[in-house]
Amino acid sequence: MSAQVLQLAINALAAGCIYAVVALSVEIAYESTGVVNFAAGQLVTAGALIGLSAVAYTKFNFLPAYLLVIVGMSMIGIVFLICVYLPLRRQSVLTIVIGTVGVGIFIQNVMLLTWGPLPKSVRSPMGSGAIKFGDVSVSLHVLYVIGVTALLIIGMYLLLYRSSLGRQFRATAQDPEAATLMGIRVKQLYALNWILVCVLSGIAGLLFAPMWLVDVTSGDNIGLKAFAAIMIGGFGSVPGAILGGIIVGAIEIFGAFYVSSAFKDALVFALMFLFLLVRPQGIFGERAADRA
Amino acid sequence: MRNLPIVLLVLVLASALVAPAVISDFNLRLATLALHTSIAVIGLCIAFGWTGLLHLGQAAFVGIGAYASAILTTRAGLGFWTTMPIALLASGLVALCIAVPMLRLRGHYLALAVLGFNVTFEIVARNWTKLTGGFDGITDIPPVFFFGWLIEGDKGFYYLSLFFVVIVALFGTALRHSRYGRAMIAIRDDELAAGTSSVDVTRIKVLAFVLASVLAGLSGSLYAHHATFIAPQDFEFGRSVTILVMLILGGESSVAGAIIGSVILTFLPELLRFLGDYYQAVFGVLILLILIVMPNGLVGQVQSWRARWAKGRSNG
Repeated sequence: MSAQVLQLAINALAAGCIYAVVALSVEIAYESTGVVNFAAGQLVTAGALIGLSAVAYTKFNFLPAYLLVIVGMSMIGIVFLICVYLPLRRQSVLTIVIGTVGVGIFIQNVMLLTWGPLPKSVRSPMGSGAIKFGDVSVSLHVLYVIGVTALLIIGMYLLLYRSSLGRQFRATAQDPEAATLMGIRVKQLYALNWILVCVLSGIAGLLFAPMWLVDVTSGDNIGLKAFAAIMIGGFGSVPGAILGGIIVGAIEIFGAFYVSSAFKDALVFALMFLFLLVRPQGIFGERAADRA
Repeated sequence: MRNLPIVLLVLVLASALVAPAVISDFNLRLATLALHTSIAVIGLCIAFGWTGLLHLGQAAFVGIGAYASAILTTRAGLGFWTTMPIALLASGLVALCIAVPMLRLRGHYLALAVLGFNVTFEIVARNWTKLTGGFDGITDIPPVFFFGWLIEGDKGFYYLSLFFVVIVALFGTALRHSRYGRAMIAIRDDELAAGTSSVDVTRIKVLAFVLASVLAGLSGSLYAHHATFIAPQDFEFGRSVTILVMLILGGESSVAGAIIGSVILTFLPELLRFLGDYYQAVFGVLILLILIVMPNGLVGQVQSWRARWAKGRSNG
């Protein structure tokens, strides 16, 4: 493989990791509540912009700044639970999905009022250094993105599949009423769900911000590509969300280089449509049709 | 009181007919915009309100109609009455291509696929400069001739749009009370039960989706000729959301609600102009409030008030 291809591949992996984290966040909301979270993209932007301000506030102490972001995103999650999810819970899932669209519009415009429309550059905690492997130069930030994503995936796996909390969480997702009868505190788990959703999206924001410029709309595209990633990987499958994210990253980076940078996003959606036509359940996903 | 709806309808139509003589030019322009937008909202009422298909890409189908009309009139020199049917056909055919594979799948697949389609449409409209004019869009779209009359300016277009809205509303009402309309409602309420009651679920869903898009195409064609200028951002995903909110504000399963919703949401930015930059944030909250406080929209709310009032009277 030539150095150029390797270089593109590592950038594709980094972009793919970010889509994978957002896809994971959308997937968790979908698995536990059946809601497709259309505010995901705006939550990503929120993470990036809150991170920008927090880092400036702590004078470039990244650890406390990032903790602030996690606290902030958790608060957004709780507000979302109280103001949107709980009031709408008894209505159809479609209604809640439209509610998330409203939340997205609200968050985006509050951000526009707070941070203004101009794009901003964000520093990485890894600085701007790079390591050379032969002809391939890899920025430290890219390695950091890949590392954090790997840790997040392992952490989510342990939380959801290897802890009592995760078992309660999945039980509630399957049947909230039965879970209540088993003595599970369902409302607290819904809170945990929306906190996880917001924090994961926020972390994706922190990861992507130093790679591209950030403005109030930059998360929108990331959210859309996370949806494409889920469709490709398969709705209802966590490994699918991750693999789908990486595939979307690869199409975007290689497509922009070899095909057309104007149409790179259209290529992603073209692949999504192809999957819907040929294999609607995605690579690992749930049964896609309602009826046989 | 039993004739109240009919009396109201006549009053509304009469005031719609005399409105251009009374309101300002600017309001007339908005009213015209509200009228041809309401055709797309009635379309969405068929797909989402009656059949329950979460359709987040209506603006793209409005866009297909608008671009088809604009390209054919400016490049091929055809007139509105030739391009408009072609625009309807184009929107309908694209919808058919999407609908047939997608509608066998669960609801959220359609929602995301149509969203993806809306975004792809924007990308293509922005970048296929030769055909669409790219970011600059298409300018100088010619006015409409109606039996030799030149329909130009807002007054003529207002009546042309009103004419189409009345036809579409009549069509919608007839559809609602037909076999097909009942089948759509049955699918929305319980797909499985509808299927076992020998409703051809997939066929009815495809029909609803295609009809929705054909009406979007008509709306787009009128929009192009009225505005005389179109650009990709007129048909972006945010516009699809606005069209959906128009429907849920008015009442998601009512033709009258679709028209009321599109009139209110077209004028709302002007009425709330004092909010300035805060309007969009308020709009987001408004969506949530509608969903939480009156999930059946204005029409549904009035109906439930009337029902309560009638009940109160029979008890007292």
